[in-house]
Order: sequence, then structure tokens, then C-alpha cells
Amino acid sequence: MSNIKIKSKNLDVFYGDKQALFDVNLDLNEKEVTALIGPSGCGKSTFIRCINRMNDVIDICKVTGNIEMDGMDINDKNLDVVALREKVGMVFQKPNPFPKSIYDNISYGPKIHGKGETKSELDEIVENSLRKSALWEEVKDRLDEPGTSLSGGQQQRLCIARAISVNPEVILMDEPCSALDPIATAKIEELIDELKKTYTIVIVTHSMAQAVRVSQKTGFFHLGKLIEVGKTEKIFKNPDNKMTQDYITGRFG
Amino acid sequence: MNIVLIFLISIFSISLFFYGKSKTKTISIKDNIKLNALPKFYGYYLVLWCSIPALVFLLVWSLFEPTIIKSIIIETAANQGAVFNDKNEANLIYEKIKAIHLGTYFGDIDSILKESALAYAKFINLFTNSKVVLIFGIIIASVVYSLKKIRNNNKARDDVEVILKGLLFVSSLIAILTTLGIIFSLLFESIKFFSVINIFDYLFGTNWSPQRAFVRDASSITAAEYEELKDAFGFIPLIAGTSFIAFIAMLVAVPVGLFSGIYMAEYASTKVRRVSKPIIEILAGIPTVVYGFFAALTVGPFFRQVGENLGLTVSSESALAAGLIMGIMIIPYVSSLSDDVINSVPQSLRDGSYAVGATKSETIKQVVIPAALPGIIGSVLLAVSRAIGETMIVVMAAGLAANLTINPLESTTTITTQIVMILVGDQEFDSPKTQSAFALGLTLFIATLVLNYIAQRAVKKYREKYD
Repeated sequence: MSNIKIKSKNLDVFYGDKQALFDVNLDLNEKEVTALIGPSGCGKSTFIRCINRMNDVIDICKVTGNIEMDGMDINDKNLDVVALREKVGMVFQKPNPFPKSIYDNISYGPKIHGKGETKSELDEIVENSLRKSALWEEVKDRLDEPGTSLSGGQQQRLCIARAISVNPEVILMDEPCSALDPIATAKIEELIDELKKTYTIVIVTHSMAQAVRVSQKTGFFHLGKLIEVGKTEKIFKNPDNKMTQDYITGRFG
Repeated sequence: MNIVLIFLISIFSISLFFYGKSKTKTISIKDNIKLNALPKFYGYYLVLWCSIPALVFLLVWSLFEPTIIKSIIIETAANQGAVFNDKNEANLIYEKIKAIHLGTYFGDIDSILKESALAYAKFINLFTNSKVVLIFGIIIASVVYSLKKIRNNNKARDDVEVILKGLLFVSSLIAILTTLGIIFSLLFESIKFFSVINIFDYLFGTNWSPQRAFVRDASSITAAEYEELKDAFGFIPLIAGTSFIAFIAMLVAVPVGLFSGIYMAEYASTKVRRVSKPIIEILAGIPTVVYGFFAALTVGPFFRQVGENLGLTVSSESALAAGLIMGIMIIPYVSSLSDDVINSVPQSLRDGSYAVGATKSETIKQVVIPAALPGIIGSVLLAVSRAIGETMIVVMAAGLAANLTINPLESTTTITTQIVMILVGDQEFDSPKTQSAFALGLTLFIATLVLNYIAQRAVKKYREKYD
């Protein structure tokens, strides 16, 4: 049994008057892939956005309850959000490379955190990040080209490289393959398998098959509530809850 | 008379609308047939048929009637022995005849004029009567034709669509033709100017003093006289002054406008935005003449006072005062355009930047602004072309003498100011001085056209990237 990296307790999230998450208690294990499944609007994305405080960007969003990483209270008002996000990287649904060169897309994060003072250090970070995201061989000769010139799958791997570049401990992935074709998806899944050796990964997905392929632990959300959580194998073969059963067999959702 | 006619045509058309509507309804009920269009379309159909041919005829008639009557009257006057040597004298006699007819002529009236005035009255009468008769003829013919069509249950809907499309087309045609007309009139007058003054002397001359060409007939300038005129129309001081004042204006407008745009788009809460955006836009609603006297009466003298206290010579019509006020005038354009482009940078880019731990200002500086840059450049260029074309502020607050200077405390002049100065008061239309205004106008037009084109290209390129 691996260590618990992130622990949420009685987590509630409100958007204005509307409650988006109800009393979520979920533990994420270190160096494991946790998949979050559930129908659209069930709060999966809201949950992972609590982990790196991305909900701060939304004015009307209010988070109560407790969420901890390595015993550190993430919701603490005095917490340095910049330092938190350095430790918790994120990959979004749609590839969103900056309108900069491939090189600058990767070096952006390290520069902001004051890593890689010399050009050679930066070069090394860029190369390592691109290698880890399995993009190096494809782009090593054209690092000066804009990141937006890459294909969709490559763009998404570039975004993963960007997240890796600041050397985080956790990577959050919000439906990272929903805008990609099956081949690009397969590459990303392969990559996730590789990355979990180093990082704790949380992935939101609509594809049951993907959850089975990449994750060790799965949580099922419905209408803002965490209905069931457990080992992926158990959730998909023999869920305790009737609703989970119905969802994974495609009876609703 | 024309107003009465238009009124009658309108009344007639409106009543036909109701007639056509109810008529087709009764036909469809009585004969139990399915109409090809809603009854109201038959109403529209009648209205259009009743009004458009008659109105078009009226318009064409009114355009040509005066010229035809004039040529007829001048001819009859000539037949009766009136003497005139050229077109101008003929025109004069025609105006006299008209004045006698209206009873506003107080000179001597000889028999020729008297006879002609009677003939004029006769023709006016004849033309008016035939106009009325023809218009009613046209209305009756077109109404009969369209009523017949309606009885045959035609596809009124399609016809109405076609006619409406035609109307809209004509409207846009008018806009385009007017623009073309203005461009060509600029072009032809400029060609006249450049046939006297060499275009290179104009473009590269460093001295602007058009009053030297006063009362010289352009058609008979000798080589010696041209030597003197050659350096009276140098464009360089004007474009230098224009660019200089525009540059000062941009120094004010770009930073302030851009920063306020960034604040509005990125930092301001909805509440602040709702209040402050309209306030900034009020700046755009202040008439430029108000800015003008503010610059001339308040800011200019203030700068001179401050300058005196510091021991500097400051002209009370300094480029600085004009440029500063112009810059303030332009702030809302830069601010609201850059607010728009910054707002349309996708949120996902900001999220991506926040997610690697960037702060808000880092995100704005390194991700949002670079992404919005083409649009921002476009908005700045649009502002520049406004600054170049701005007239009222510089007429009031900048100087009149064309100094070639880069000292913002001295007075300079601009293209627009000079155009105003040249065309104010009595003009000789064949003097190169007057014609030079058209050349200036053309140059200004080309400059702003190029700027606007580049700006729109930049903005468009930016839009394509994110849409």
C-alpha cells in the first residue's frame, strides 16, 4: 500500500448559490494514477481544480472543508499559491500552448520560478521535459517554431512537458485526451504509464476504457457527490454501488 | 409641388396595402384557393409597385428639369436678341430671368428680359403640369399591372424579396459611389495642382508658404515665376509637424490607454467595470472643438506660464499642448479597443500560465499581452490614423506657420490645419494655392488609408488565430 499524497475531508464547493461538491472525502495515493469518472457536470473537474487552487480564478467560487497535501492545508488563506502550483501541475482538456516557440513554452515555468539561471541549465530542463513527455525526438530540430504549429496530440504532450518542467509532485489532468484522436490518445496513455513512476497523477476522464487502462484507483462522482471509490479493478468488475454499476455499464450518463 | 406629390404617392400606397391585403384574402376564401404568399405580401407588392416607379420618375425628372428649362430659356432669350459672349454671361441672364419671374429682381427690365420671363413662366407651368400628369399615368399603369398580377395569385413573396434586395443594393451603391466621387474629385484637383507644381518639389520641398501663389493664374506661369513658386509648396514641414504632434499624442494615449485597457480587462471587478467603462467612453463623446479650446485657452497658456517660470521660451501654440490634448482625446479608442482584444484572449491560456505557478502580472506580461499583440498594434495604428486626420484641436491649438522643428515647445503646423487655412475665406479656384489643399487632402487620405489597411490586416490576422 502506497502513501497517501493528497487527502480531502468534508470538501464542499459552491459557485455562488449553487453547490458543486458535497462532502467529498477522497485520498489520492502517491505515484499512482487515480481516475475520476462520472457524467458531465458531476464535479470531477471542480474537485481537481481544488487541488491546485485553480478555483481562485473564479470570483464566485467558495471552497470549504479540508484538503491536504503531505499534511499541508491547501485551503489555508496564507498558503503561497505560486509554490503550491509549482508542486501541482495541470494539463487541460484542450491543448493550450502559449503563442510562443516550443522552447519558450517549456522554459516559461522554470524561468518564473527562478530555475535554470544559465542558458545551458534551461536547455537541459527543456530537453528533459520534452524527453519525459516523449516529444523530444519529434521537435528537437524545431524548438524555435511556435507551439501552435504542432498537431493536436503533440500540443497536448507539449502541455504535459510544460507541466513537468517545474518538476512538480502531482500532475492533474482534466480530460487530456478528449480533443485527440485514438493514436494521439494511445501515446498520451503510454506516457501516463511512464510518468506515474515519478509523479502522482489524477486524471478526469469520460472514457471508461481509458480509466481501466491507465489507473490504479477510480472514483465515481455523481451530482457533486463521490459515490464510490476503490481499486480500479474492483470498481469496474464488482462495484458496491448500484449507481456505479449502472454508469459503467452505460445505463446512464 | 414635389412634396405634395410625394405625400399623395405615400397615401395612395398605404391605402393600396390594405386594399391588396383584404382583396387577396377575400379572393382566397371566395374561390377557395391556397394563396402563394401571405396576404400581407400582396399588400407590400402593391405598395412597392405603386410607389417605386413613380418616385424614381419624380427623382429623374427633378434632376433634369432645371437644366432643360435653362437651355430652352437661354435659347429663346438669344432668339429675341439677348447678347452674351460666354457661358457665364448666359448664366447671369438666366438668373435675371428667374429673379424677374419670382419678383425679386430690382434692376432695369428691358423688353427682352420681360419676354423671356413670360416664356419662363410658361415653361415652368407646362413642365409642372406634364410632370403631374405623367406621374399619375405611371401610378395608374403600375397599379393596374400589379392588381392584375395579384388576381393571378402570383408569387408575390418572391417578387417582394427581389425588390427589397434591389433597394438594399442601391443603398450600398450610393455609399460606395459617393466615396468614389470624393476620391476622384480629390484626384482631379490634385492633378491640376501637380501640372503646375512638380510633384517632387511638393513631396521633398522643405518650405511651405502657399500665400506666395496668391492671385496668380495657374495657366500662365512663366519659368521665372515658377522658380519662385517652386519652394512655396514643400510638403516636408507639414508631414513633419503632423507626425510630430501625432507622436506626442501617441506618447500620451498608448501607455494610458493600454494600461487602462489591461486594468479593465484583467483586474477590474464587474462592478468597477460597469461604472468606469462608460466614463472612459464619455471622453470619446466630447466634441473635438471642446478639446480644441481647452488646448488653446487652458493648456497652451499654462505650459507657457510654467515654461516662463523655468526660464524656457514656450510658444503659446506649442506642439506639446496640441499633442497632449489630442492624446487625451484618443485614450478611449486605444483603451476600449485593447480591452476588447485582451478580453478575447482565450481563458485557457491564462489557466495554463496560472497552472505552472505564474502570478497575474507575469501571466499578463508574458502570455496575455504577447497573444493580444497583433490586435493591440492594430488598435494603436487606428489611433494614429485618427491623430493624423484630427483637425479641430490642431487648428485651434497648434500654430499656423510651417516650422520644421523637433522642439515640442515651439509651434508647428499640420496638414489638416493648412487645408483649413487655405480654404477659409474667398478663393480663386484656379490658383495653385487653392488646389494645393486638394493635394494635401489626397496625401492625407492615402496616408490614413494605408494605416487603416495595415491595422485591419493586423486585427484580422489576430482574430483568425483564435476564432
